[in-house]
Amino acid sequence: MVGVAYDCLLNPQGAVRSTFQNAICKASDPAAFDGKDWGVIDLFKQFLYDDVGLSQVPVLNPSSIARLKSNTLVRFRGMIQDMLGNELYVGMYKDGETWRTNKFGDFFQLPMATGSSPDMRVWERRLLYCVPVPGQNSWIEYSSESLLNPSSISSSPPREKRHRDDDTAMDDIDMQVTNEEVHASTSNKKMREDGIASNSSNLGDTPTADIGSATSVLPYFDRTSLPCLVKIYDSPESDLKLNDVFEFIGVLTFDPECSVDKNVDNDFLGNLGDDDTETQMPPTKVPRLHCLIHKKLSNQDFISGSPTLELKSHLVKEMRETLLRHLTTILGNDGVAANLMLLHLLSKVHARVDSTAVGKLSLNLTCFNKETLSVYGHRLNLALKNLLPFTHCVPLTVDYLNKIPLAPKKNYQTNRLVSGILQLAEGSHLTIDETQLQEGRLNPIGLENARVLQSLLEQQKVEYDFTYYKMDMPADIQLLVLSEGKSNILPADLVLPFRPLSVDAVQDVEIEVLQSWRWYLATMRSLSHSITQEMQKVVEDDLVAARQADRSLGSLDFSRFLTMGRLVSLSFGETTLNLEHWQMAKELERLRKERL
Amino acid sequence: MASDSSPVNARGGKCTASLLSSARMFSIFLSRVFLRKNLKCTGPSTPDDSISSPIGNTYSSPGDSARRKRGRRSASSTPVAPSNRRFTTPEATPTPSSTNPRRGGRRTSSNTPTGAATPSYASDVPPSSEGGEGDDADDTPPMYVWGTNISVQDVNAAILRFLRNFREDPSQTEGKYMRAVHNVIEMEGDSLDVDAHDVFDYDGDLYTKMVRFPLEVLAIFDIVLMDMVSRINPLFEKHIQARIFNLKTSTSMRNLNPSDIEKMVSLKGMIIRCSAIIPEIREAVFRCLVCGYYSDPIVVDRGRISEPTICGKQECLARNSMTLVHNRCRFADKQIVRVQETPDEIPEGGTPHTVSLLMHDKLVDVGKPGDRVEVTGIYRAMSVRIGSAHRTVKSLFKTYIDCLHLKKTDKSRMHAEDPMEIENGAVGNDEPLDHEEKVEKLKELSKQPDIYERLTKSLAPNIWELDDVKKGLLCQLFGGNALTLPSGASFRGDINILLVGDPGTSKSQLLQYIHKLSPRGIYTSGRGSSAVGLTAYVAKDPETGETVLESGALVLSDRGICCIDEFDKMSDSARSMLHEVMEQQTVSIAKAGIIASLNARTSVLACANPIGSRYNPRLSVIDNIHLPPTLLSRFDLIYLILDKADEQTDRRLAKHIVALHFENPENSEQEVIDLPTLASYLSYARNHIHPQLSDEAAEELTRGYVEMRRRGNFPGSSKKVITATPRQLESLIRLGEGLARIRFSEKVEKRDVVEAFRLLEVALQQSATDHATGTIDMDLITTGVSASERMRRENLVSTTRNIIMEKMQLGGPSTRLLELLEDVKKQNSGGDVHLADLRNALATLATEGLVVVHGDTVKRI
Repeated sequence: MVGVAYDCLLNPQGAVRSTFQNAICKASDPAAFDGKDWGVIDLFKQFLYDDVGLSQVPVLNPSSIARLKSNTLVRFRGMIQDMLGNELYVGMYKDGETWRTNKFGDFFQLPMATGSSPDMRVWERRLLYCVPVPGQNSWIEYSSESLLNPSSISSSPPREKRHRDDDTAMDDIDMQVTNEEVHASTSNKKMREDGIASNSSNLGDTPTADIGSATSVLPYFDRTSLPCLVKIYDSPESDLKLNDVFEFIGVLTFDPECSVDKNVDNDFLGNLGDDDTETQMPPTKVPRLHCLIHKKLSNQDFISGSPTLELKSHLVKEMRETLLRHLTTILGNDGVAANLMLLHLLSKVHARVDSTAVGKLSLNLTCFNKETLSVYGHRLNLALKNLLPFTHCVPLTVDYLNKIPLAPKKNYQTNRLVSGILQLAEGSHLTIDETQLQEGRLNPIGLENARVLQSLLEQQKVEYDFTYYKMDMPADIQLLVLSEGKSNILPADLVLPFRPLSVDAVQDVEIEVLQSWRWYLATMRSLSHSITQEMQKVVEDDLVAARQADRSLGSLDFSRFLTMGRLVSLSFGETTLNLEHWQMAKELERLRKERL
Repeated sequence: MASDSSPVNARGGKCTASLLSSARMFSIFLSRVFLRKNLKCTGPSTPDDSISSPIGNTYSSPGDSARRKRGRRSASSTPVAPSNRRFTTPEATPTPSSTNPRRGGRRTSSNTPTGAATPSYASDVPPSSEGGEGDDADDTPPMYVWGTNISVQDVNAAILRFLRNFREDPSQTEGKYMRAVHNVIEMEGDSLDVDAHDVFDYDGDLYTKMVRFPLEVLAIFDIVLMDMVSRINPLFEKHIQARIFNLKTSTSMRNLNPSDIEKMVSLKGMIIRCSAIIPEIREAVFRCLVCGYYSDPIVVDRGRISEPTICGKQECLARNSMTLVHNRCRFADKQIVRVQETPDEIPEGGTPHTVSLLMHDKLVDVGKPGDRVEVTGIYRAMSVRIGSAHRTVKSLFKTYIDCLHLKKTDKSRMHAEDPMEIENGAVGNDEPLDHEEKVEKLKELSKQPDIYERLTKSLAPNIWELDDVKKGLLCQLFGGNALTLPSGASFRGDINILLVGDPGTSKSQLLQYIHKLSPRGIYTSGRGSSAVGLTAYVAKDPETGETVLESGALVLSDRGICCIDEFDKMSDSARSMLHEVMEQQTVSIAKAGIIASLNARTSVLACANPIGSRYNPRLSVIDNIHLPPTLLSRFDLIYLILDKADEQTDRRLAKHIVALHFENPENSEQEVIDLPTLASYLSYARNHIHPQLSDEAAEELTRGYVEMRRRGNFPGSSKKVITATPRQLESLIRLGEGLARIRFSEKVEKRDVVEAFRLLEVALQQSATDHATGTIDMDLITTGVSASERMRRENLVSTTRNIIMEKMQLGGPSTRLLELLEDVKKQNSGGDVHLADLRNALATLATEGLVVVHGDTVKRI
């Protein structure tokens, strides 16, 4: 076995091949290799996890792509945006008298004469189109390198809103504009170049906006978002689902030089249009990654660089206190709002029963007007950006709704799933700013969008449009709605009139504190939770009493009470509901009711 | 023709061998030319040559070169293997079949034993009597499909036997496919549809060979057909292709894998894209610019024509002088179609897979985007060239399906008589065996003593409580027996249900659920429905300009359940359309020159809010529901779903929600029968169980009915309350039948009837309780006035009459109404009397001619 670290990193295919040679010597029947691993995975697992090689594996991102060499081992973190089906390839073939393998490698060129060689086995692999997680905040990339300068971000004064195109308006709210601006302008430029692409997808910050414009003449990779075509070997289909976030470790192959012959196969299947992955995603633009090991990531995995804090109750309590104080300051000393915001940030869909998603807690802060929004909206957005790994902000206007479908749509011309803004990874946060919604007429797209948003709020499901039918995809997105009055199109679980008392300057937050908060939110969110028999009795009694007092309470309200109770308890790091926290949840609900 | 048919046959085997791999798109033209050509060319050649030629490596012989040319296209299809290798396992042949012309000749071959006479050959040859082709055996050695031990002759004979002898039922004199062949000849068709199930039934071995080695077997199939046709009608020029369909197993698109390559597969999916029709050149003719000599047709090989560089004419031999003559070339239609998985096959968190289909000739434009189709074809892989100018290929393959047969399956479930069949198909278990197994399972399920309860629990499990409503809905789903008497009178078997209830009592969820479950049906909201939208409307066809009848919701849900939400918000005119549907089960139309009566054998499930949106217990049910009594009486069951301030229910709700949040939801629902099973259970019962009333049940029914009618007549009470009407009796029978169906029982037993009574009672007690007396009162439903109310009125009238008789003189001064009211109040002990009531009573008296009412005064006459 070639277990040398050097080999695995810089010449992973060498390792693949040598293990194969070892294995083929022992095996008699070449058919035995079909769809099986011959020890490569174990070798790499050992190298990565036992020999701590993981840290040496470079990360594939826009900045590193220039430095990375083809045929080396890399890691890539991304969301599965589309699945491109299976690909058949020559897995092993006989070269003279010896069998060779082509697994975990790109195609090799085969002279036609030998192409028919019977001494070869055809295997298959899955193609996944992965993109960086939408809405990924900049601190994730830099957190390991500690490039984040928190004071400059969190204390920067709210900026004057500039008026630009609608599709870039959301970027205005972003404070770390530089990257996004570059991106937005590049994609705008592309859209101008490619008119067709712009109607299918012109979302400034969805990285997939450039799929449709594969013909654009960008000489090199997109600077901000690097998609990657991941090829999965021998893995059950159910392991990898659409919109899952994964870390893939595998062999990188790309070829910035290779010119693609556009006329490939125009004589045959190419006639159906440009749905060929090679032409659509030339290796010059989209690197390939032959995946050896993949691992599903949760939000927690993105809080790298922070010390792995232990779950000590006093520490957690302290973090909760400071975070709550921070949120209170940001929300102009509105304690109730801050409390609910905290619960909202901790919410997560933890079960689905029929059409109900249990555990979601969307929040609608009402009574926003132009002034309060300009002050608090921006502050809030900034804070969220700093606290959560994946955030998005959608300024809801009639134009915006009417313009582009929010839900992903299948484009049969290219045979690709065109991403919409609502194609988000699990655990993303979405702020919908409804204050800018003016009177107007919704066109069919707008109506559809409103419906999609509504079903997202109510059921945590996004309907993907496959033209001939629609498919519900489960989602887990925290939704925050900012509106003037109670939102009618977006029925949130919690509606709270926002009552800021005073505008205090936000204190600078130290990076360590910020990181501990991130850790706190990600970890508490993922805790499991249970209830004792006695407590269950108490809760039931309370619910019954509440319903006896107020007949208008329905199952939805009960559901909300329980979610709040659970989240209050989680916010203290507790895994079982106790009376005190239940009382707190009830008190919060009472305070909220008073405001309505 | 007849004369050369015999030599053709004599060489049949060999020709087959060379044709083996012939791509299916080759038309007769080619094949026949090919055969004749062969005949001409190889005729004079030595026997040795003719024997070895099937191997395909005799490049030198002129005959073979001709054949090679023609066989080129075919190259794409043969299993690739060294000639000395035999693949017996299907996994061993997943060969990338590229369409390299150079390999064409070599690969196109069958493994012929070298000797002209193999000892075994005689046994391989079909008995001469079978096909009347005994002469085959004379000079043909047994030939094998290359790389297998399948003998060409065997297959040939088996196909012939199948075509000649297959009969669907033994009494038929002529075989099914012989008849079909004759038909095709008469119709001048060019393809013969062959049901793979028939092949399997007749010869399982042939079926297996066909599926495993479709290219070879189908080529033989075509040749057999060709022979047969030319025998029947020697002048028939067209080539008939066999189109196989209805394979025994169908694959799911995402399960296609390398081992399926070169196999016959069948898949279901939806067409998402069709390319334009591509004229594909098949044969090119060149003309010499110098001497005008026309070349022989040159067959295209993989989209490329090798242009002759030298003029073929001996006298000319000009170089680079050949030019293409377009109008003498032959083109064939080709189309590429993309098919995508249907939503039901997509696992959670996946995107639909797609696959390309290659359609040829007649199959072109058979399907449009959006069609759901079932495709039978050969799964092929094609290597990808680096570039059009390169001769090297990548180690990647593109896969596609060479389409043999395309069947459109029904677009929507509207046409789905039997949801179970569809389900089976989707999973790919069309096999009858499997079906039987499933039926067995269902029957087993039906034998469970608590099946009724279990089904009730499984119906909309997320809606707790409302068990009696669910039971009623179950009855509706299973339905009663429709009956048509010889006299023409018909009794509907469909059960109509109305749910009236407070907002937020999950009526709509129930409706949605039933809509999802019922075999077919329409969900509509009363608010947005118009009368024509529900029944049928006349529209102008945009293409032809003719007036056509378009079905509305009720007609579309024929044999299903039409769910109407917000029934109360429907316009009266729309509602009145329902009268006919709900009793006669038809929709009659007379407009725009179209007079028609459409079937609408649908169950109606409607739900409504009470008039004040919340049920007002002080008002009568009729007042609450506020629907015309004529319509109400057509509902078999009317459920009042009231949100009672009941601690018990609240507690259950609380428990439910708490469990939802803190327990593993999977555990709490184990008892429940899953939706697909429930659906197939339903459809089986609806299609196969037709229960009859047992004597016992009939007796019970009579007894119960009589009792129901008698119930109102308490001894000593003078009021007559009609407790039940014949309509209710019919409802009871239907409910009883439905209940028997639930148990898969062919007999309606006593307990079914008892339960039916109970259901009716439960529904009626809620919906027809007279708030004054507490008894069941059908008058409330049928006329809108309760019997006790009527009693009260009558009492009032008689009291008033008495007072008037006593106090007022005939023709005397008129009395003020208010005074009269005081008197009546004094006399009437039974509660309050309102002025309005008095006016009503006086109106009655006025019609009797006793009094005259002038404004506020009453005068006796």
